[in-house]
Amino acid sequence: MNAPVQPPKLPGAANKLKSTRMAGKLVNEYWEMVWRAKEEGKLVCWYEGSSINPFLEAADIVWVHGEAYSAMLAARHQEGPAQAAAEERGYSRELCSYARTHLGCAVNNQRHRNGSDSAFADVPADEDISAKLPPPDMIISAYAYCSTGQQWDEMTSRLFGKKIPIFNVSIPWIWASGKDAGYCRGKEWEETSVYVARQLEEMVKFIEERTGKPYPWDRLRELMRNVKRASELRLEAMDMCTARPAPATLFDWSVSIAPINQLPCTTDIVDYFTKVRDEVAERVRTGEGAVPKEKYRLFFDGIMNWNKLGWLAEKFAKYDAAVVAGRYTHMAFWQEPDLIDANDPVMGMGQNYLICPNNHSSPILIDLVMGLCEKYQVDGIVFHATRTCRAFTNPMHLIAETAHSRLGLQTSMFEGDVADESFYKDELLNTRVEAMLEAIDARRLATA
Amino acid sequence: MAFQDPLARFAEVSADPLGYARAWKARTGRPVIGSFPMNFPSELAHAAGALPLIIQESDDPITVGHALLFPFYCGYTRSTVDQAAKGDLAVLDAIMFGDHCVQLLGAADAVRVALPDTQVIFFQLISSMCDPWTFGRARESFQKLRSELEDFLERPVDDAALRESIALFNRNRALIRELYRMRVDGRVALTAAQMQSVVKSSMVMDKHEHTALLEELLAAVPAQAAPDSTAPIRVHLSGHFCQAPKPELLNMFEECGAVVVGDDLYHGFRYISTDVPEDLDPMDGLARWYMDRNTGVPCPTRVQNDVDWDAFLLGAMRNERAEGMIVLMAKFCEPHMYYYPEVKEAFERADVPHLLLETEHEGMAMEYMRTRVESFVELVRRRRGVARAALQPVEGEPA
Repeated sequence: MNAPVQPPKLPGAANKLKSTRMAGKLVNEYWEMVWRAKEEGKLVCWYEGSSINPFLEAADIVWVHGEAYSAMLAARHQEGPAQAAAEERGYSRELCSYARTHLGCAVNNQRHRNGSDSAFADVPADEDISAKLPPPDMIISAYAYCSTGQQWDEMTSRLFGKKIPIFNVSIPWIWASGKDAGYCRGKEWEETSVYVARQLEEMVKFIEERTGKPYPWDRLRELMRNVKRASELRLEAMDMCTARPAPATLFDWSVSIAPINQLPCTTDIVDYFTKVRDEVAERVRTGEGAVPKEKYRLFFDGIMNWNKLGWLAEKFAKYDAAVVAGRYTHMAFWQEPDLIDANDPVMGMGQNYLICPNNHSSPILIDLVMGLCEKYQVDGIVFHATRTCRAFTNPMHLIAETAHSRLGLQTSMFEGDVADESFYKDELLNTRVEAMLEAIDARRLATA
Repeated sequence: MAFQDPLARFAEVSADPLGYARAWKARTGRPVIGSFPMNFPSELAHAAGALPLIIQESDDPITVGHALLFPFYCGYTRSTVDQAAKGDLAVLDAIMFGDHCVQLLGAADAVRVALPDTQVIFFQLISSMCDPWTFGRARESFQKLRSELEDFLERPVDDAALRESIALFNRNRALIRELYRMRVDGRVALTAAQMQSVVKSSMVMDKHEHTALLEELLAAVPAQAAPDSTAPIRVHLSGHFCQAPKPELLNMFEECGAVVVGDDLYHGFRYISTDVPEDLDPMDGLARWYMDRNTGVPCPTRVQNDVDWDAFLLGAMRNERAEGMIVLMAKFCEPHMYYYPEVKEAFERADVPHLLLETEHEGMAMEYMRTRVESFVELVRRRRGVARAALQPVEGEPA
């Protein structure tokens, strides 16, 4: 079990975007809505991975994204009770900590509903928000790349006694076979897109069976117009961060994942990203940097360490290092809005699910990462070797090798995890990043 | 001697699978097609005139492979990448696979980089087994793999050859299953390590050659004395999907007073559990085989809500008259880690003893494990004569 350790306060060095503060309010309102779902007689769907939430929101089903719940618990340092419950049931701590935390919520949920053999264990502590998660009425599994997603959903179904209807959408890995293979192109891409879109249409029938109503396609179209616009604004703002100093960093974009990934697809998310875009534009105009004394520009490869989001933002800022882009933030989450036809959204939605930042094999993936490194003119790459997220760690060595050989970039790795801070080693990060920054300095001196 | 000779050959090939492949290639001049576990139908490569070989975990410590894959990956994936990086897999003309495990996908990417001259062919098999489209998609995947194999070899794989390969592989599986039945009945005394080498060598050897040796073995089985009440406790081995448990571990179980009477290891009954129907179109047959395997011996790498691995295990133990189960979990094997709590709870409910052992590629604490196994054997021995719930059919067990 991880004790909810609060990191010691560092002097604030990161000049975070002000507009992203609204994300916290929207996130809280969203989870309050989730926690009220049963009282309001709403159907609840648990899902992981792909952002299928617009399909559910349109049908007035409350959606619970497993990773988002685990990330929220970790960011609030409240993941301990759920992880302890999972471990108690026998889930190894080497399992994906998103999954382990979420499964722990399910264990807690079952325990509190069904009682337990302990006089105390079935009473949730007041602050244990892992136990507040409403149980699912349905489960939809639509996970790109990582096999763990599908198995996690299956185990959730079994935890609830296989009484919850489950629907699987299989999203194949793009292996890049054939001479025409590439990012969003080639026969493999076209065929896989059709395969996924057909399954999504079957998924809609599953949703209709659950609600007992015809599927409200008009509502989905309306929501997807908002998603598309929010995505365009987000990408526009990100593009502006090629400026020096960078007006925003990866940590601002990490805070902005919830609004693009799982918050209600209302005009609120369009407003949110409009404000973010405007603030970024203003910073570019005035030359205001997210790291006041920007000296280094780095790329962050790996999923976010949610226990340490603020901590890392401050740490890199203190090094005068602007982490300007990352695989997690800049290669996912409705990343290709042009593929979405809001009037006929299913195919484009499926294609965006296929563009998870890991779902292309290394030849394509590495080219994309190198492209971002060049676009944002980074000096080095920091790899977050996420202990329990092999989906992200899989290509890291290959990316590092290519970054060095193709672009001459310095790289550095540190160990951590998405939602289990016991894997994080602060001193390792310090020494390795400092060594990398020194190497960058040495190179600059040599070429000056 | 006739009984021991085939076993010696199986053990020899199991100890050096790539050595066998190199010799076969030198002798025949034909290609060797490697595959990753666990569901690529080797019949396809065989019908194309190649030697299909399921890539095995090596006993060698990981060295250069560390530069390609992190240490928190299962031993199989790390070892495979390490073998590729060292050049050991150079004998393979191509590698084919369709299985979807996140660690295996990482290994495949690394292998593709490490072996630029080796064609790596992948088409992802559907792992959700209950969908209305599962059969069709599985068939389509196998057809894609077949087409890519044909492109690579620049020759068609014709249906007649595929039917012959299917029949040969079925014959091979049937003979090994007969050995399994004989072991349960006490008609053959095979150690767990010997049984493993029978199966493991089947993943590597030319199927004609292996089948001939199996026939020789079965014809020469010596008569066995009837077991007595002081016999070792009967155990079922479960788990270990992609890689073979180390023979010294299996030997240790027997030294502690256990005899292995059944298993669902991939290097065991899982591999030979299911035949390809011969009365169907061969591609239909392969798709059917893929689906039947998971109802026959459920696998946690697939998701199938109407099949329970835990219930299967309890049923298998009843049929094998096994008194306890040893679970072998390869460290970092995610599917197994996900499913294990289900198995644990089912066994606790059924009051059937089981012992979980986590295995590693390197540095297993054998003496620590030995103490645990000795205690487990003693515990099970004391239960002899006590009626067990495992003897009753269990809910969810396939008919």
